[in-house]
Amino acid sequence: MKTDIVDDAIEIWFGPQHVSAHGWATKLTLVGDYIVECDPNAGYFHRSAEKVMEFRNFRQGALIMERLCMLEAFLAEYPYVTAVEKIAGLEVPERAKVMRTIMMEASRIHSLQFWWGQFAAELGLFTMLLWPWVDREFFLDAFEELSGSRHAVSYNTPGGVKYDFNEGVIAKLERAMDRIEDRLPKFKDMLLRGPTFRVRTQGIGQFTAEQGLKWGLSGPNIKACGVPMDLRKDDPDPSLAYDMCDWEVPTVHNEDHPGESDAYDRMVQRFLEVETSLGIIKQLLPQVPDGPIIDPKHRAKANRLPEGEAYGRVEGTRGVTTLWLKTQDKAQTPWRAKIRGPCFSSYYSLKHLVPSSKFADFIVIFGSLDPYPGWWDR
Amino acid sequence: MGFFSVLGDMFRIFKHVFRQVFVRPFTSLYPFEDRYYPERTRGRHIHIREKCTACSQCVRACPVVAIRIDKEDKMYEKDAALYFDYSRCIFCGLCVEACRFDSLFHTPIVDLSEGERDDLLYGPDKIETLERDPLEWRGRRFR
Ligand code: SF4
Ligand code: SF4
Repeated sequence: MKTDIVDDAIEIWFGPQHVSAHGWATKLTLVGDYIVECDPNAGYFHRSAEKVMEFRNFRQGALIMERLCMLEAFLAEYPYVTAVEKIAGLEVPERAKVMRTIMMEASRIHSLQFWWGQFAAELGLFTMLLWPWVDREFFLDAFEELSGSRHAVSYNTPGGVKYDFNEGVIAKLERAMDRIEDRLPKFKDMLLRGPTFRVRTQGIGQFTAEQGLKWGLSGPNIKACGVPMDLRKDDPDPSLAYDMCDWEVPTVHNEDHPGESDAYDRMVQRFLEVETSLGIIKQLLPQVPDGPIIDPKHRAKANRLPEGEAYGRVEGTRGVTTLWLKTQDKAQTPWRAKIRGPCFSSYYSLKHLVPSSKFADFIVIFGSLDPYPGWWDR
Repeated sequence: MGFFSVLGDMFRIFKHVFRQVFVRPFTSLYPFEDRYYPERTRGRHIHIREKCTACSQCVRACPVVAIRIDKEDKMYEKDAALYFDYSRCIFCGLCVEACRFDSLFHTPIVDLSEGERDDLLYGPDKIETLERDPLEWRGRRFR
């Protein structure tokens, strides 16, 4: 008896109503329990952020960037701010540089804590959803003490930062760091040594460094393949203070499959990222220099910008986040802003990554790439 | 995976679970308990009318057009009435930053829920004072 497997194939939509779908929808073609085709569909989150930016002035624009990814708000608003600074030729005071860097790293840790919880919940480990999210509250308390808002911080502004550090902020930041340092070994023990977790992630969603680079992946996804690609080291930004501390780009080298990464390696990579960020914050906190946080003369320069174009970029939690900004002479609003979110490429890499894996592994592969729909639907 | 390694894994997991069981709950019983709000909290605004100069910088700074100004409505020499639409406000703080006359501030009050949508439009009577009627629900009074 001969059966044509194409006759057995069924098409299903994963999302947008599915609970772990976060509002995205992917069309999957299944034969039995196996996926033969995966068709990612961006567009369910589209809020025309780039168009909205054309109608907002240079102080308001960063608010939109920050709302694209609330989890890494300090990092997300930075490309816009730095692009404006480049066009206007603004100098950032030393104190603001260090403060920016500290808060950006804190934001990275916070975002990764959120991701652990979410990824573990997608695997069915619900306890691991709640524990990192409790620790995350400590960082949110620090953000609230600093800026007055837990998520939409609106902290960076062209020419410097808006709110100064005080004792309360530093105390809360230290408390949050102590807490995560205390809990990191526990999480490692629970996840990386947990048999359920290992079985569900090892050998799942494996790709080589060449494939990853071809698909345009960046950040932890490509660092997990052993490629030390990190904008913080490769292209040190003069308005940030990464050169004031001593750190190494964390990469994973797996003996079983060198040059390749699976979902497990990406989890290990994100543990390393947190440790690196903690190290950077610890070195920078005692080094915060005295001085102003923003130059009032420069502040007014951001009202009207000369003609020009600039490219702002930052190594976000999920990869390289960039923004291209073009202005016309004496304009109050940008002529065009173009965002490159890191998750667009990781979402569309599913097209090559998912086929021939099991349906149950789909969410593991997707979750391990640290998706955030705000970054692919602008 | 042998019997003992499985037993070891189970023991390890139980160790973490039992430690967690005796931890105090992290959540609080809102609205019976209130959490701590820092001084900088960007909650609802307060408009100090004596100092306002009707410069409308706050209106220009707002990215979502949540503020409306009525320059005819004068209580003092050169002030103006402000209307805040809290169904639009995103609590970004740009209006407070733009006000150079110390007339507009955020307050740490963030519970703005109302039964009617129109009640979220804070006119001059509501935006200039922090007093409000306590909320009553099933015979209980909150705040
Ligand atoms: S906080 Fe922001 S959104 Fe709200 S009224 Fe002020 S400027 Fe407008
Ligand atoms: S509140 Fe401040 S910014 Fe707004 S009109 Fe009055 S003085 Fe001007």
